[in-house]
Amino acid sequence: MVRVAFINPFSEEGRQMVRELGNIKSLYEENAHLINLVNRSRSQDISDEGSIPHNHIDMALKRLEWYMKKKNDPSFDYRKYAYLLDPEITKFDVIAFYLLSQAIGVKFGPNSRESRAMVESQGKLMESRLGELFKSEKRVLVAQILNSLLMDEVKWTFFEDLLSSKKIKLPDLIIDQGNIILNKEDFMESFSSKIKHRDPDKMYNLLVGDHIKELIMTKMIMQKTENYISTVYEKSRREVEPNPLLLELAEEISKILSETTMSYGYGGSYGGEVKASPLNPKAFPPCVKTVLEGIKSGGRNDAIILFLTPFLSYARLYPDVFRRNVTMKVSDVDPQLKVVENEILPLVYGAAERCSPPLFEDQPQEKVNINAKMGFGMHTQIELKHEGETTWYTPMSCEKVKLHLPSLCKPDETCKKIGNPLSYYIRKLREIKGDEDGSED
Amino acid sequence: MEREESPILKPATLDERRKYYREEWDVKEIPEFIRESVLKREFGFDHMGRGPNDRYRVFRSADLLRKFLRYRAPFAAYSSVAFYDKPRRRDGWIKSELVFDVDAKDIPLRMCGCEGVCEICLNQAREIVCSLMDTLKGDLGLNDIHVVYSGRGYHIRVLDESVMKMDSDVRAQIVKYIIGAEVPHNEYAEEGVTYNLEHFSIPFGYPHVFTLRAKYSILHLSEAIQMEGVNQKLVKDAIKHQELIKNDEWGIFRNKIGPIRYQRLMNGIASLNMGLVDAKVSIDLKRILRLPSSLHSMVSMKSMEVKNIENFDPFEDAVPRFVYERKD
Ligand code: SF4
Ligand SMILES: [Zn+2]
Repeated sequence: MVRVAFINPFSEEGRQMVRELGNIKSLYEENAHLINLVNRSRSQDISDEGSIPHNHIDMALKRLEWYMKKKNDPSFDYRKYAYLLDPEITKFDVIAFYLLSQAIGVKFGPNSRESRAMVESQGKLMESRLGELFKSEKRVLVAQILNSLLMDEVKWTFFEDLLSSKKIKLPDLIIDQGNIILNKEDFMESFSSKIKHRDPDKMYNLLVGDHIKELIMTKMIMQKTENYISTVYEKSRREVEPNPLLLELAEEISKILSETTMSYGYGGSYGGEVKASPLNPKAFPPCVKTVLEGIKSGGRNDAIILFLTPFLSYARLYPDVFRRNVTMKVSDVDPQLKVVENEILPLVYGAAERCSPPLFEDQPQEKVNINAKMGFGMHTQIELKHEGETTWYTPMSCEKVKLHLPSLCKPDETCKKIGNPLSYYIRKLREIKGDEDGSED
Repeated sequence: MEREESPILKPATLDERRKYYREEWDVKEIPEFIRESVLKREFGFDHMGRGPNDRYRVFRSADLLRKFLRYRAPFAAYSSVAFYDKPRRRDGWIKSELVFDVDAKDIPLRMCGCEGVCEICLNQAREIVCSLMDTLKGDLGLNDIHVVYSGRGYHIRVLDESVMKMDSDVRAQIVKYIIGAEVPHNEYAEEGVTYNLEHFSIPFGYPHVFTLRAKYSILHLSEAIQMEGVNQKLVKDAIKHQELIKNDEWGIFRNKIGPIRYQRLMNGIASLNMGLVDAKVSIDLKRILRLPSSLHSMVSMKSMEVKNIENFDPFEDAVPRFVYERKD
């Protein structure tokens, strides 16, 4: 029987497992029980000693490494991590989960790439584990966990966080009178009289079925993970010394993230890598060109702050963001912030200047918001010590531009092939480069 | 009803504005939901007809607001959708109404083709408001909803506590949900088998909202309409089979049009739906909106809270007295 904590580390059972852990020194000690479990796991590859975790800390690192490699390494071999999907591992897994979250919380906080990797890995792990279960088993488990996470009636407004972070999209929920319909009885009561020519049972299974429930459950646990990291972070700001063991673990976590993304890039599945390089205005999409000329009517602030700043900073420093899908900080690419100061800000300020009226003339305070959108908090100066107080805002999609700043979007041929001004830029860069290469011979 | 003689929407003079605020207007016509939160809101005024550049105004009571309007008789008056601790500095944001702005001038598929607004497009705007309200109530379960006639269209203002703290991203999703800005999935999988289920065979949830909006759009199509990715021939065919949609015979309609072209048409309609409300207004937490009961001097109409949208007629209900006294 699969235990609830295998999926939900926040369950009472899961918390109990951590409480029972006892001596923290034991975390580095060779754990025969763990090694034995791993070796016995179905389809586990035991030929390589390096892929077997020997203690709790190992186990924690492997747990995250699994996700990073699965995502980035084209030769990822699931048999090296098969034990992670084996319910027998539950107790060790839960401890690993808390170790990772605490280390990340203490050292990096909730807005870090480490935190994002942790939250995403938790999501993927739950998904993979559920995928291994028998359907009937899974149903019972999901229902049980959902019950503990939700009250009887679930208002959609309860998912504000999940909606805001786009982890759930409103149209994917079945909502009636404000309540999310999750169980069959509610579904039948609300809709069976409206359904014609189709079997309501079938419809329930297709529309609300297991899929939505799993989604909600998974997303809720991911959100809880994020919240947990953030609680740990807040707490550690107030306390004196964080546990050195956690700090050490945090270092290791960071290493895993850097190693996996650097050595494997983004899986090599799409064309070549796009490196950070000086901006080429010839490749800018129409919307960006429009803003650079200066906004003459309304919407100056959003165009400059929400649209242009993220676009230029990512285009210059991290054009691969959507493909690699790994959160970075500006200083990961531009450690001295030279590029920001000498290349990006001048362009942004120039565009602001060309607005009418010039943006900073009547609203000098908006400079702070520009800094905030690059991740440097709400300060008048860009300084490394403030980095991470806000997140480095990713560029708006075309859809968002059309919704929020419709006057900017003047699509051309290339626009038909892309969904984000940044992809436009990358595509155009390649075209231009192709042309230039061609003209050489 | 001699509609040809309905008041021409021409600007009010300063004298007319004064007359309006002194003789006709009553502070009690400012809806309760604003009067009781005067202290927390920012007010803005347009004195010269050049835009609301007298902003960051605050009033310590509804009575002081009354006096201000009496004496200044502004060209236009606005109040924030946001509640602040320090409205004078727009600081200490507490929460904001969730707002949907349906402007008759900007709605897609206008049947009139007029330059500004007229009875026909205002009535279309009213119909749109009614259907959006149904979704807000029936689907999203919101209750504290007020409709305001703005002079050129309608504002739907939602004051349910559960949504007032939501950020712009969530608001953007709500907008898209209620206007039907995305074509619903048409494939659903169970146990490895994929089933095709078009939005019109799902009588609830978002697919149903989309079906309602698409129905409205198809019934209002005209040959002149330009839709992304939809050619003239497809528009014509859709119009030809309008009758089927009127009778909710979507399956037959789809067969007549052909599944691939149908998909294209739905994509076109989804992007057309984006124009049903001005999304910028909905996602802006600090927007100011025309104050209900104030005069829209550009068109000489009263902005006012609408108690019964089903049979509201601005040309009956929102025309100030001075318009009837005009002699020309
Ligand atoms: S389609 Fe996208 S890239 Fe092209 S102009 Fe519009 S927003 Fe910009
Ligand atoms: Zn009209």
